[in-house]
Amino acid sequence: MSEDITKGCDTCLFYNSAQLKKLGVNVDNADHVVALAGNPNTGKSTVFNVLTGLKQHTGNWPGKTVTRAEGGYSYGDKQYKLIDLPGTYSLLSTSEDEEVARNFILFGQPDVTVIVVDASRLERNLNLVLQVLEITDRAVLCLNLMDEARRHGIEIDERTLSKDLGIPVVPTSARNNEGIPKLIQTIQDVASGKIICKPHRIKSLPKAISKAVDKLNTQIRNAYPDLPNSRWVAMRLLDGDQDVMRALTEGEFQSLEYSEQG
Amino acid sequence: MVNPEIALAIFFCSLAVLFLGHKLKIWSTLFSNREQARKALIEDVLKQLFHVEYSGRSAGLNDMAGALEIVDNKLVEIIESMTLGNLIESSRNIIQLTPAGRDYALKIIRVHRLWEKYLSEKTGIHKSEWHDRAELKEHTLTSEQAEELYQELGSPRYDPLGNPIPTESGELIYTNWKPLSSLNSGTRATILHIEDEPEVIYQRIITKNLHVGSQLRIIESSEHQIEFYCEGNVYKLSPIVASNINVKELKKEDSFEESHVRLTALNNGENANIVGISSECRGVNRRRLLDLGFIKGTPIKIEYPGPMKNPKAYLIKNTLIALRNDQAELILIEKE
Amino acid sequence: MSKDKSKDILEKASSLRWEVGDNFHDKLTEGIYADAANISQRVEIKEGQGDYSFDRKLDRILTSRGFGFPIMFLILSVVLWLTIQGANYPSGMLATLLLENIHPLLKQGVASIGMIWWLDGFLIDGVYLALAWVIAVMLPPMAIFFPLFTLLEDFGYLPRVAFNMDSMFRKSGAHGKQALTMTMGWGCNAAGVVATRIIDSPRERLIAIITNNFSLCNGRWPTQILIATIFIGALVPSGWAGLTSTAAVIGIALLGVVLMFFSSWMLSRTVLKGEVSTFALELPPYRPPRFWKTIYTSLIDRTLIVLWRAMLFAAPAGAVIWLVSNIHVSDGSLANWSIEYLDGFGLLLGLNGVILLAYIVAIPANEIVIPTILMLTVANLNMMGLGAGEGVMFELDSSLETGNILKAGGWTLLTGVNLMLFSLLHNPCSTTIYTIYRETKSWKWTALASIMPLILGFVVTFLVAQFWRLLR
Repeated sequence: MSEDITKGCDTCLFYNSAQLKKLGVNVDNADHVVALAGNPNTGKSTVFNVLTGLKQHTGNWPGKTVTRAEGGYSYGDKQYKLIDLPGTYSLLSTSEDEEVARNFILFGQPDVTVIVVDASRLERNLNLVLQVLEITDRAVLCLNLMDEARRHGIEIDERTLSKDLGIPVVPTSARNNEGIPKLIQTIQDVASGKIICKPHRIKSLPKAISKAVDKLNTQIRNAYPDLPNSRWVAMRLLDGDQDVMRALTEGEFQSLEYSEQG
Repeated sequence: MVNPEIALAIFFCSLAVLFLGHKLKIWSTLFSNREQARKALIEDVLKQLFHVEYSGRSAGLNDMAGALEIVDNKLVEIIESMTLGNLIESSRNIIQLTPAGRDYALKIIRVHRLWEKYLSEKTGIHKSEWHDRAELKEHTLTSEQAEELYQELGSPRYDPLGNPIPTESGELIYTNWKPLSSLNSGTRATILHIEDEPEVIYQRIITKNLHVGSQLRIIESSEHQIEFYCEGNVYKLSPIVASNINVKELKKEDSFEESHVRLTALNNGENANIVGISSECRGVNRRRLLDLGFIKGTPIKIEYPGPMKNPKAYLIKNTLIALRNDQAELILIEKE
Repeated sequence: MSKDKSKDILEKASSLRWEVGDNFHDKLTEGIYADAANISQRVEIKEGQGDYSFDRKLDRILTSRGFGFPIMFLILSVVLWLTIQGANYPSGMLATLLLENIHPLLKQGVASIGMIWWLDGFLIDGVYLALAWVIAVMLPPMAIFFPLFTLLEDFGYLPRVAFNMDSMFRKSGAHGKQALTMTMGWGCNAAGVVATRIIDSPRERLIAIITNNFSLCNGRWPTQILIATIFIGALVPSGWAGLTSTAAVIGIALLGVVLMFFSSWMLSRTVLKGEVSTFALELPPYRPPRFWKTIYTSLIDRTLIVLWRAMLFAAPAGAVIWLVSNIHVSDGSLANWSIEYLDGFGLLLGLNGVILLAYIVAIPANEIVIPTILMLTVANLNMMGLGAGEGVMFELDSSLETGNILKAGGWTLLTGVNLMLFSLLHNPCSTTIYTIYRETKSWKWTALASIMPLILGFVVTFLVAQFWRLLR
């Protein structure tokens, strides 16, 4: 009985440590793995630095972090491992950066994915957000650069945004340390399962396309009933994604079938 | 110390030898493989025969020798051995493919078109070189490799020029197109295919910047010249060039958008909405533009023309994105 | 069992893809953006279109036809001037401290503990001196150049530079952002190569990496200035000497730019033709940089990392330099033998064996080329009373004395000119070669980037030397 409880606690580590090791992430001392995704030039690295205390250089440039940066922090009694993914506009193209980011979220299965967006340019940033939400259902939206948005006369209705996306939204201004405590708390809530996300799924697809996606999705679900992102896998297969095809033939999806019940 | 005259003479002589050797293809012939060359020749004959039959004509020995640029006695020898191998049959002066030969020819064509598709999607090779590279590649790729390529490219139906790609089992989509030169004045049509042979004419079409998938309207068609409107520009082609562009006539109920022009036609201060990206924009380039928000219905305008007018900075979805003019050429807009 | 299932799925996907046609990706992206537009319309409360009037006003000046280029060149000149002028004093101080004060102290120290002579020479005269030289020459300019560059970067000005310059780079098949990686290369080629990460197109990034070596880096400026002063400044009346030699150095740097464009053009049309090429350049909003934080992070992030890498490579080079001068085979040192062996080829290029040997042993760092040349010249000529001993690199305070040593070594104006050319056109230092490998993960591109400039250097110096001799 008591053994079961400890086992149950082990499963609060959602992440897939074998896969993470393969991706080169050492998770020995971490309780939770948190990935940081976002468009270029949204202050993602600043968020990373504020959270970890590292002094990684952040330029006013699209696409600065080509290789992944890692860092850690502790909050409460938990150790968090933070992975800064390359800044990308999308996860659908085939550039090296996007592959790194995409493979990490898909195969690394971080406990929480924090998506950093530029509050003053929400629409363009949502492109990436919606894609990430197809892959993972444990995400936090970090609405960064709030100071800039205010300066440019833009305000965001965070509650509606949170409701529409189905994930918690935290407005921040990482440069000025605004909103960071709330972000850390929210990451914990999602990691510990206190907040359950119901992420938005892409709706506005033409009939022919969504029909094809559904057909393939059904077949994937039959083969891998516990795969959390089968619809996204279906989309990638229809798009001819080589990585996903390879993962499928090599049986990697079986290892992705984590079961949240333990 | 070496005499400077001698040193310079040796230097320039060796430079000249290297250059001439390259120009006269001495290096490539020196290292080429005879067995391979013979196989390539057989395959070229098959392909040529297939194209002739596909267009509803028939071919004799002389046509073949002309089309393939080889000497007669060598061709005769090849034809004989191909007849023995049951790839072709000849009666009177006409050479025909056997079913086995037709299958073989389709396999070669499949590889050729897949490779052109590959070059267009996954590499930066310019389109003027696709044909020649595919001509070499078609003789070396095995059918397993071709199948892998087909999967990797996402099961494409057409090559970048609009030619249908034969399926693995040798089926070919029927193409219902006719040459641009055959259209009457006032006709509206969509470009379906651009022929890449002969090369001189293809190069002319490339310089004209016409794209597969574009809609056009014939202004005037005579036996000297074909004048037509396409995406904001007026083009004039000689019939011999126009006959290498194949089109499908639009029916009455099909919409023809006269107001769809290229982004290059946008002037400072004008507002427009994006209506699409040309099929000529491929691979990563296309995906990148889509990711950046160049999506149907998106408002766009020039924010800064830039010091050299190329690239220009466009305002789209509240972000400044600089595009070069050759990219803007591939984006269709409708001015407000 | 799961193999079969996977195969079924893939087959199904393939047949569905055939049905859907080639535009799945377009439709998917359109769908995502449609959702994004719906959501953002519901949640964005804008006053007007969002107020970017300051950004727009500034950009209209910075990207204008009239002001764009002058402002750019002005800023670049100020940055370079601050770097060169500002570095003079700390560089001198560091040199005095490390070479004139600490070096003798170290020598005394090891003498007092009675270290074996060769270990003393190997460690102190070899390894320590090489490190000291690299630090003294490299650290001050980089500690000024990189923070200034980073401030401009954080403000958001650099993307505008790339925007303005793109039309020039486009014509040679390169990306406008290469203007920036090239400029970074004037600070340090290794840093310039790392900076090519901002170029997201595979072909243009490789071009920028391979041609970065044509940016005359920090370690090479002092060589250029010294040789120009000795050989070119001496050609004109002394009043004009300074101006003429400065012009010669700038001429070499500009030649580097010309060759960068030329080789970019060549590469994009030959070996790199098949690489994918894309162009996208976002002009981000301006952001006020946080001054001290930027300076701090750029020192940590760029300057110290690059310096550390350079030191790792320079240390063994110092050891090798000391060894070749102190290992004797029959009646000469290894250095003597190699110089004799290389002399023939060196003369063909209008250089000499000493220069070639110096460039071979000083691959790790351009900073130590001149001290090595001086040491080797003196050692090879057996000049008494000059220099600091076998295998001990040194520099002299006055360029006149340096010139005398070099002229005694048989140097002429041709040697000087060709050394300046060769200093621009030779393989990248080993720090840069290593960095190129790290960035490209390809031996092929690393080899090309290392050998191409060297061959170009051989050809150019050869032609200059032969025509020079022919026309005299």
